[in-house]
Amino acid sequence: MKKALRRSTFREIKSTFGRFIAIFAIIALGVGFFTGVRITTPAMVNMMNGFLQENDLYDLRLVSTLGWEREDVDALKSASINTVVEGSVCLDVLYETSSGNERVMKTHCLPGSINGIQLVEGRMPQTPQECIADSKDGGAKIGTIFRVSSENDKKTAQQLKYDKFTVVGIANSSYYINFERGTTSIGNGGVNAFIYLPEKAFDTDVYTDIFVKLGTDAEIYSDEYDSIIKKAASDWEELAEDQAQARYERLMSSAAQELEDGRNELEKSRIDGQKELDYAKSELDDAKAELDEAKEKLDSSAADIENGRKELEDAKKKLDDSKSQLDQSEKELTDGETQLADGQAQLDQAKADLDKKETELKGQEEAFAAAEAEFQAQYGALLPMADQLPPEQRQAILAGKAQLDSSREQLTDARNQLEAGKAEIAAQQQILEQTKTELEQGRREYEEGLKQYQCGQKEYESSKAEFDKGVKEYEDGLKEYEDGLAEYNSGLEEYENGVAEFNEKIADAEQELAEAEEEIADIKSPDVYVLDRNTNIGYACFESDSQIVEQVARVFPIFFILVAALVCMTTMSRMVEEQRTQIGVLKALGYSNGSIMGKFMIYSGSASLLGCTIGYAVGTFLFPAIIWMTYKLMYIPLHIPYMFDWKLALLSVAASMLCSLGTTWIACRVELRQNSAVLMRPKAPKAGKRVLLERIPFIWNRLRFLHKVSIRNILRYKGRFFMMIVGIGGCTALLLTGFGLKDSIAGFAEMQYGQVQIADASLNCKTTDDGKLPDKLLAALEENSSGYMPLYTGSWDLLYGNKVKSITLMAPEDWTNMEQFMNFRTMEGEKLPSPGMGEALVSHSVADRYGAKVGSEIVLRNEELEELHLRVTGVFENHVYNYIFVSSQTLDDQLDNGTRYNSAYVNFPENSDVSKSAASISKLSDVTGMTLFSDLSQRLGKMMSSLDYIVLLIIVCAAGLAFVVIYNLTNINITERTREIATIKVLGFFRRETSAYVLRENLVLTGAGAIAGLILGIFLHRFVMDQIVVDMVDFRVKILPLSFVLSIVLTFVFNIIVDLFMELKLEKINMAESLKSVD
Amino acid sequence: MSAYVQFKKVRKVYKTGEVQIEALKDVSFEIGKGEFCVIVGASGAGKTTILNILGGMDTLTSGSAILDGEDISAMNKRQLTAYRRYDVGFVFQFYNLVQNLTALENVELAAQICPDPLDAARVLEQVGLADRMRNFPAQLSGGEQQRVAIARALAKNPKLLLCDEPTGALDYNTGKAVLKLLQDTCRSTGMTVVVITHNQAISAMADRIITVKSGTIADVRINTEIKDVSEIEW
Repeated sequence: MKKALRRSTFREIKSTFGRFIAIFAIIALGVGFFTGVRITTPAMVNMMNGFLQENDLYDLRLVSTLGWEREDVDALKSASINTVVEGSVCLDVLYETSSGNERVMKTHCLPGSINGIQLVEGRMPQTPQECIADSKDGGAKIGTIFRVSSENDKKTAQQLKYDKFTVVGIANSSYYINFERGTTSIGNGGVNAFIYLPEKAFDTDVYTDIFVKLGTDAEIYSDEYDSIIKKAASDWEELAEDQAQARYERLMSSAAQELEDGRNELEKSRIDGQKELDYAKSELDDAKAELDEAKEKLDSSAADIENGRKELEDAKKKLDDSKSQLDQSEKELTDGETQLADGQAQLDQAKADLDKKETELKGQEEAFAAAEAEFQAQYGALLPMADQLPPEQRQAILAGKAQLDSSREQLTDARNQLEAGKAEIAAQQQILEQTKTELEQGRREYEEGLKQYQCGQKEYESSKAEFDKGVKEYEDGLKEYEDGLAEYNSGLEEYENGVAEFNEKIADAEQELAEAEEEIADIKSPDVYVLDRNTNIGYACFESDSQIVEQVARVFPIFFILVAALVCMTTMSRMVEEQRTQIGVLKALGYSNGSIMGKFMIYSGSASLLGCTIGYAVGTFLFPAIIWMTYKLMYIPLHIPYMFDWKLALLSVAASMLCSLGTTWIACRVELRQNSAVLMRPKAPKAGKRVLLERIPFIWNRLRFLHKVSIRNILRYKGRFFMMIVGIGGCTALLLTGFGLKDSIAGFAEMQYGQVQIADASLNCKTTDDGKLPDKLLAALEENSSGYMPLYTGSWDLLYGNKVKSITLMAPEDWTNMEQFMNFRTMEGEKLPSPGMGEALVSHSVADRYGAKVGSEIVLRNEELEELHLRVTGVFENHVYNYIFVSSQTLDDQLDNGTRYNSAYVNFPENSDVSKSAASISKLSDVTGMTLFSDLSQRLGKMMSSLDYIVLLIIVCAAGLAFVVIYNLTNINITERTREIATIKVLGFFRRETSAYVLRENLVLTGAGAIAGLILGIFLHRFVMDQIVVDMVDFRVKILPLSFVLSIVLTFVFNIIVDLFMELKLEKINMAESLKSVD
Repeated sequence: MSAYVQFKKVRKVYKTGEVQIEALKDVSFEIGKGEFCVIVGASGAGKTTILNILGGMDTLTSGSAILDGEDISAMNKRQLTAYRRYDVGFVFQFYNLVQNLTALENVELAAQICPDPLDAARVLEQVGLADRMRNFPAQLSGGEQQRVAIARALAKNPKLLLCDEPTGALDYNTGKAVLKLLQDTCRSTGMTVVVITHNQAISAMADRIITVKSGTIADVRINTEIKDVSEIEW
């Protein structure tokens, strides 16, 4: 290109920078969006591919119903080339947490060279009691101790050597790239996390899986990879089946061998045992004979003793009689002696008394004599004359006399007595003397008798001593015998016990052998499965998730390219038109069409190349980063590396070049076809035309004048009209989709736990034998909750077509109160009646995705292969997980075990400390797990909060689109009508009026575009929602009225912002333009 | 006649970067009410500049311009717009009709912003376009278009009618017709008409002739021999 022309070109760029930027911007936007969205899926896949390659995720997984042994691994290793084969153990184990709750964790042995893990914190285990925990496990930190629960079944518990493991490291696993941990048949059916233990912590020789890594490094999900795997799988199926069969045979033969050995051992034991028993028996018999002999002897001795005893007794008796006689005699003698002594004493006493009395009497006699003498002396003379005496005297004398007489009598008596007494005493004394002699005789007899007795006694004593000795001997002998007998008896008992035990054991052993034989017969030929990566949840989920973006990516870019093309087209057409005369001049000067076109090509080409470059750079960097940010929460938090795709870059360059250069070429061609003379003449302005609306005078005449102007203007340039509608419509549609995404997605957790599952919490627990909730739990619930509903919860497979989908089946105890815990409403909000016998209510996701519509018959099957046949009578709104609800009667009817309640919904009183009440329930040992729905809701909500970024991104793009389109068109509009605008300024239009004159059209077009955009947006939103299908969640496809309002408002806001800038431009239009000539 | 239009020592300097162009050096003149004034001068003499200032489209550097006692030069933008709106009618060389509006609507466009306009249809009739009212400019000939323009200017009922080379784009006869229209309007309505032209011949029809040369007033004279347009030849 000639120098001057080139200079003109570059000056052109400088002077019409706005136009240049418009092209640059729209291309940048379009390319950015297109490439950004296009590269996201490959970038994500690339990222994950890198991670999985680095950590050697398996290509094939071999599973056999009999498991594998090291031999099998080695055999497979040698049977294949360029592959890595590794055995692995994976068990579902129940663990206890420090809070007493139970959780199921998939327990793996640390990987060798396949399915590597990426340590995030801590270190690898160094002892068998250390472990690596899951980085997505909130309950595991370095130092946490996991205890193997005693509730595990024997088979599982036996395979672990220890029952306590300490976390020393936290890791991500290539086997679990997403947060799903799978399901299990133990515990409450859900797996909380994985845990890696060193190989030495396992006490088993059997591998649960064999992993194979082929030598391919084809990218994950690629067709290349899939075809390699397909081919390899069929090869490996054969290998695996053969190997499994080999194991089976090995197992069988070793089992048979063991059985044989067992039988032999049994026989041997039986013989040995019998021998021992027989020997014992004979010994016992000998002993018995001895004992019997002894018994005989003892018995005869006993008889002898009896006799002896008798004799002794008789002797004793005699002796005793003698003794008693003697004693009696003695007694008598003694009594007699005593009597004698007494008598003597009495006698002596009497004697003494008599003596005393004699003395006394004598005394008295003397006294009397004296007295008498006295009296006589005194009264003797008087006596005969007693009568003549004075009475007193008489009396006194008489008295005295009397007295004396009496005394005399007395004394005489006394004397007589005394003499009598003396005589008696003497007689008595004689008696006594007699008695004494008798007594002495008697005593002598007694003494002799006593002597005899004593002799006899001695004899008796010695006989007795002998007898006693004999008795003692007998007793000793008896005791020995009895001891012997006791020993014998106990020996006999032992023997009998021994026999019984022996028989029992033999019988048991035989039974065991019989059972074992049966078991061995039951061992079926193994089923072998060769699984590829598609059965790995994380791998499969990532594929579908990363493809969501791809699906969505299909639609948007086309739209942007369309808009970009339109913008370029109008811009370049305008430019070419403006330069019409210049083109004419250049032509006249003799420049070729090519070089003239070149000027424009360079202009648009450079703008679009720049735009393409910047757009590509920003788009490919920003989009994957932002989109991955939202997915990161569900997957391992990897860093997404920047991915450069040559093809995409070239494609976008080609597209943008086509857009810009293509449209430029088209625009130029039209002009260049005309000859220079025509070009240099001013172009005839486009004729005004009547508008259709004018034919409706009813409306037309009512319009304000200036509005009529705007209407005519709008419809005058249909191309621009169309472009504006498309651009604005697109903008509004994007905004609506963005807001709509947020409405549909963001609120789902709130909707679910605020409107559908309105219970405060759910818990899983043990079941009593008769299928009810444990009493302790019921008591705790009564105390702490304001209401609860026992439920059966179970994981069942829904069969549809030839596929299977795992769903959660639930049956409440009582449907009448269920509305306190869960609302069953159709998607339109109608309340659903509870299901009757054989009926089921299914959640919307199940009906929608797996064909379980109202009226259809569905079959559910669980792990134990029990089946349920149900008819769907209602589809209820539900957003989290896939549920099917039935009545307990249905379960009672169709299942052998009936309804076994193992869970409950719980409501807590308002204004109570919910976590405290929940804790007091969940700490019971019967409760295996408890979830507060508010926590769950919050967590889910947080997951979705990153959605805000996406919405923001969309809004920014929409804004960009709107800005570029409106700015561009208005710019063209204004530059085209510069003269017109100058004229009306001259005519005296005020500033506001001038702006309105031009920009009113914008407003109307924006309004029309916005309405079109709302309609388009609804469809776009629905389309995007259809692409974002996540298994666990069923988003409600809805757009809030607020979103509609916001979309329109924002669209208008964008418009107004551009209009404000345009007003400035209008201001700058010099009125002198109106004086300029037309060309 | 009192001075309806007055320019007193008007000076206009255009500054573009470092370059200063003195378009008007020291311009002073007067025009009476109801006069038909022609301002002649060679291209670049400064007559367009005078027109711009007089029409309120541009400001002056120094001096003053007064219309009917109002000092234009002291007005701000909004006042100038109001001035243009109510007090001035413009007729452009290249008509500057809105292509999208019919002849009638073009006139209405101007009429509707005035407080005291003439009836648009009547004015169009007066300029002789009674049966072309509903045509778009593209369907009118040059002369007809210019007449519409004049009608537009007149409908505003301004104090002053400014015409910038009204016949510049027209052929001889059409041009004459237009001029005649202007003259008749001036005479019948008593409107002050100022025509800028480089065509000396036209000055014969004027009441006053102002000659501009190199940014100054070379000559101002009252025409004593006012000719009718039909009598002028060029």
